[in-house]
Amino acid sequence: MVGLSTGEKHFIKGGIDQDLRSDGRRRLTYRPISVETGVIPQANGSARLRMGETDVIATVKAEIGKPSHLHPNRGKVSISVDCSAIASPVFEGRGGEELSTELSVALQRCLLGGKSGAGAGIDLLSLNVMEGKICWDLYIEGLVINADGNLLDALGALSNTGIPKVNVAAEFSAEEQPEVDISDEDFLRFDTSSVPVVITLTKVGKHYIVDATLEEESHMSSAISVSINSRGQICGLTKRGGAGVDPSVVLDIISVAKHVSEHFIMKLDSEISAAEADEAGS
Amino acid sequence: MDRRIPLRKEIEYLSPEGLRLDGRLPSELRQISAQIGAVPNADGSAVFEMGNTKVIAAVYGPRKVQNWGQQINDQALVRCEYSVANFSTGDRVRRPKGDRRSTEISLVIRQTMEACIMTHQMPRTQIDIYVQVLQADGGTRSACINAATLALAAAGIPMKDLVTSCGAGYLNGTPLLDLNYVEDSAGGPDVILGILPTLNRVTLLQADSKLTMDAFESVMQLVTEGCMAVADYIRSVLREHTKQLELRRGV
Repeated sequence: MVGLSTGEKHFIKGGIDQDLRSDGRRRLTYRPISVETGVIPQANGSARLRMGETDVIATVKAEIGKPSHLHPNRGKVSISVDCSAIASPVFEGRGGEELSTELSVALQRCLLGGKSGAGAGIDLLSLNVMEGKICWDLYIEGLVINADGNLLDALGALSNTGIPKVNVAAEFSAEEQPEVDISDEDFLRFDTSSVPVVITLTKVGKHYIVDATLEEESHMSSAISVSINSRGQICGLTKRGGAGVDPSVVLDIISVAKHVSEHFIMKLDSEISAAEADEAGS
Repeated sequence: MDRRIPLRKEIEYLSPEGLRLDGRLPSELRQISAQIGAVPNADGSAVFEMGNTKVIAAVYGPRKVQNWGQQINDQALVRCEYSVANFSTGDRVRRPKGDRRSTEISLVIRQTMEACIMTHQMPRTQIDIYVQVLQADGGTRSACINAATLALAAAGIPMKDLVTSCGAGYLNGTPLLDLNYVEDSAGGPDVILGILPTLNRVTLLQADSKLTMDAFESVMQLVTEGCMAVADYIRSVLREHTKQLELRRGV
């Protein structure tokens, strides 16, 4: 996908070894992030995130649904990711399907926890409206506009931003449903403090880097995505790429990811609140 | 966009004062805005907005033909893919890629753009046009064509002329320019026109529902004016873009 000459490959690899990457970053530095909220008016919550050249949109739609009989007190969340052909001709037709599925399943694992929904990043109990009868169905959808590496982190960050805005509109739709008797009139904003972010550490040579670009990703031997919430708890793990990783390195990576996530969450939170203030002001 | 709600007689699409549901005059376009260069990876890209309809187009090429069997020896191969984001419509519908509607629109866009690209200048190459609908509120076809024109121009692909497109309908005995989703769903006729504004040639014409000859003539005149207005705007965007490029180059 990326055409790199041998010289360029050496340059990128050598840079990573010396802790100075080709765009001037260090191994554990992110590219500049910018967040825009409320980009899709049809959705209950939406955000667009740009991380360097990577550009993704995520939307959340809330619908009234019926909970499954196995978990009558829980809402349902579905996550899907779509890789648009505009991002790269490779995604044309069914070409993007494999990557889309890989990303959405990884995201699902990171945000939704196990089958029972226990330990999920999103608190499914809070989506319950009336036990066994009515619950909220959340549809989280991601769309990749421009791919330049590190899609998973970007999408993970986005689902994080999308969610808090859901219930702003949720109150309206709730009132349209005649049998739903909403007693609390004020907005129930979702508790997003426990929604995790996804940090991917890509292993190139002996070292691992954060927020890899497309060129750097073409070098990756393996990558581990860790989803961590603001309390520092690990919510999910995904290993991607073919090469094996030493078990001790995995633990090392997790602790590094935890350290990085603290900064990342802080930066993201400030970006989101700035974007929301911007939206409210305009 | 694709689900037509049955004709509802009780809705008045034109108020006694002659204003439409969204406050426009019958011969008024929605607010249009365009921006070049939304996708850094592409050779040329553009965002085009018509009211609440928003599409992104990206152009890759001219480049080597990917599927060798499709190569044409005396002209370029033009391909197009149209896709709709799941969240683009009011109610959530999951659409698979490559359903009949999007295949048809892809074909329409491809044929329309092929008419203006100087394909003979780039033999044995391939040009890919991808359009992605982010918000659908009627007139996605026209918006896609306008976005594709801008993206092609931004990619520096030789063209005979721009193609601009616009739609119009006929409701309550009045021709209405640039229908939105509600007006489009009314079940009345919908005429979509694509023209080469300088050469004054029609490259795309689609109409549904029946329409008397006289009414069609007035609709056609209105929609031609609409296309010209869009063309003026697109030209101004391109001129501004070229100025920016000039500035950056320090000429």
